[in-house]
Amino acid sequence: MAETAHGVGGLKYDHSKRARPPELNVLIALVLIVLVFEALGALLMDQSFLFDTRGRFDSIFNEARLKIIILQVAIIGIIALGVTQVIITGGIDLSSGSIVGATAMIAMSFAQVAEVNGSPNPKAIFGPWAMDLPVTVPVLVGLACGVIAGVINGVLIAYTKIPPFIATLGMMVSARGVAKWWSKGNPISFPTDEYAAIGAGMTPVFIFVFLAILFHFILKYTVYGKHTYAIGSNEAAARMSGINVARHLVLVYTIAGILAALAAVVLSAKNLTAQSGMGIMYELDAIAMAVIGGVSLSGGRGSIIGTCLGALIFGVIISGFTFLRLDAFYQEMVKGAIIVGAVVLDQWRQQRNANKS
Amino acid sequence: MKKTLLAAGIATLLGSAVTADTIGVSMARFDDNFLTVLRNGMEEFAAGMDGVELQIEDATDDVAKQLDQINNFIASGVDAIIVNAVDTSATEAMSNAAASAGVPLVYVNRQPINVDTLPDNQAFVASNEIESGTLAAFEACQLLRAAGLAGGAQGYLLMGQLSNQAAVQRSKDVDDILGIDMCNFITLIDRQTANWSRDEAQDLMTNFMSSGEPFDVVFANNDEMAIGAIQAMKAGGMDMADVVVVGVDATQDALLAMQAGDLDATVFQDAAGQGSGAVNAALALAAGEDVDQKVYIPFVLVTPDNVGDFLSRN
Repeated sequence: MAETAHGVGGLKYDHSKRARPPELNVLIALVLIVLVFEALGALLMDQSFLFDTRGRFDSIFNEARLKIIILQVAIIGIIALGVTQVIITGGIDLSSGSIVGATAMIAMSFAQVAEVNGSPNPKAIFGPWAMDLPVTVPVLVGLACGVIAGVINGVLIAYTKIPPFIATLGMMVSARGVAKWWSKGNPISFPTDEYAAIGAGMTPVFIFVFLAILFHFILKYTVYGKHTYAIGSNEAAARMSGINVARHLVLVYTIAGILAALAAVVLSAKNLTAQSGMGIMYELDAIAMAVIGGVSLSGGRGSIIGTCLGALIFGVIISGFTFLRLDAFYQEMVKGAIIVGAVVLDQWRQQRNANKS
Repeated sequence: MKKTLLAAGIATLLGSAVTADTIGVSMARFDDNFLTVLRNGMEEFAAGMDGVELQIEDATDDVAKQLDQINNFIASGVDAIIVNAVDTSATEAMSNAAASAGVPLVYVNRQPINVDTLPDNQAFVASNEIESGTLAAFEACQLLRAAGLAGGAQGYLLMGQLSNQAAVQRSKDVDDILGIDMCNFITLIDRQTANWSRDEAQDLMTNFMSSGEPFDVVFANNDEMAIGAIQAMKAGGMDMADVVVVGVDATQDALLAMQAGDLDATVFQDAAGQGSGAVNAALALAAGEDVDQKVYIPFVLVTPDNVGDFLSRN
């Protein structure tokens, strides 16, 4: 009501809106959540959540916990980078979890060692020719899987004009079928040391951070990024201004596919195994990370920084629950509530902004 | 000569077509490691027999879909049905559907809720779940005593999916073992679910370790989670000789981890044996023979001493 009293026709320059990027809200939420865990930790566990109170590390922080907070979201975070771009175009990608499953199976079968503990690899998928291959082979095979899945998604959406929800839903079901069919449901294990190194230690985090920085700049400073936002804000206007919308959409979904495939390579390397059930529900976690990070499901708004903060919130919550030894049942309930809460906030923020402008 | 051969050929074809037993199989899911071994066990066993055909469907963990599959089997006139139940509390309807059509039904691996009231031509083939968690937990207790920790030991419990009967039972088995006088020196620091998954277990274990609490033992409801925990502990620089890790299932990955000295005990559940046992029971029921309504395939404790016997079995 105050608005009508001050501004005429709602055309008021709103300082609070201009000076405060949406990412800042997410950052504040992240800090608040950390503070809640710190307070509860001091109250219930007599231990600090993020700080080293027992002299176990050289720094003042509990390094082990800081590491796992990022490590456990790095792989889904890689997927979320692609999903963020898809959502910014106003689309959605439900297929990433299944692409992870299928790619992990296919890539891993080219990454196997010939011998385990001195006897032949019991999980061998192909003959001796596919054993002990250089690490580039499984990685390239994996990325190729991502390209194929992404191109199919993109072409279906851009040229047959079926909604992204349906196209990627189809891919979600089919790619999971591929994952199961590839080795008839059998797990594929025992990769070479070079392949395992991709997922060892903090490497997944380095890969995630590198890609996040890369795509942050691409989205912010390149034509590709500007077109991505333009299509999501107003597809018709983007088309009018000469953007080849169809070709661009194919590109965006292909990048999302490649990132999901890369996540699959890292995931299977980290676990030293590929299983057809890998990546189930990852698509929803990735979407949730983006949405919590302020990426709008109606397109046109959001950023890589936001998604990274969303991923961190996820990591902090998972580690915080384990830190507090909260019962597993409650963990899922609270996690769900946080996702819904984030979308409610997003809607509310959007409406408020719409009323103001 | 040619004609007789041809006639004989046709006769065998017809003959096998007439006497072939078709068994419809509905598996809870195709992408579960253990169930895949079980499924392969059924297929290999059936392939080794004359005139037995399996039609195997994937219920993709969907209760309603599984019931539909069973009704489709009945409609297409199979001789028997084998069900690996998605939800063990939803088996009443399946039993009723098969019983009213007079088609024999065998439950495999997962114990149906109506196991004590099964109709005459239905049976249950599995291992007795209580054994598995108990065997593993007791072995862990003995190993800790042998390591001189009888004065007090701390541990973590990694649980499977909380909605799953086996996860609930195996966790309870651990509690029961920790409750007996001989083993009550072990206390659990925390118990959490890692949903049977190696990846989740790896992250969960790293989270546990980040609190810096010293521990001596990790109980896992299955081998995949035990391996995930081992990977996390190794990444954290722990010496696997200092900690007892036990799982259940005796998967190949786990047996090789045991050979490498990382895993201390697991429990062999004879997946292929359950599969062939189920096919056998189904064939016997289809032929109208009497079958024990509960067929139990025993669990076996696997330790570094006998690990060699199991390497090629699951």
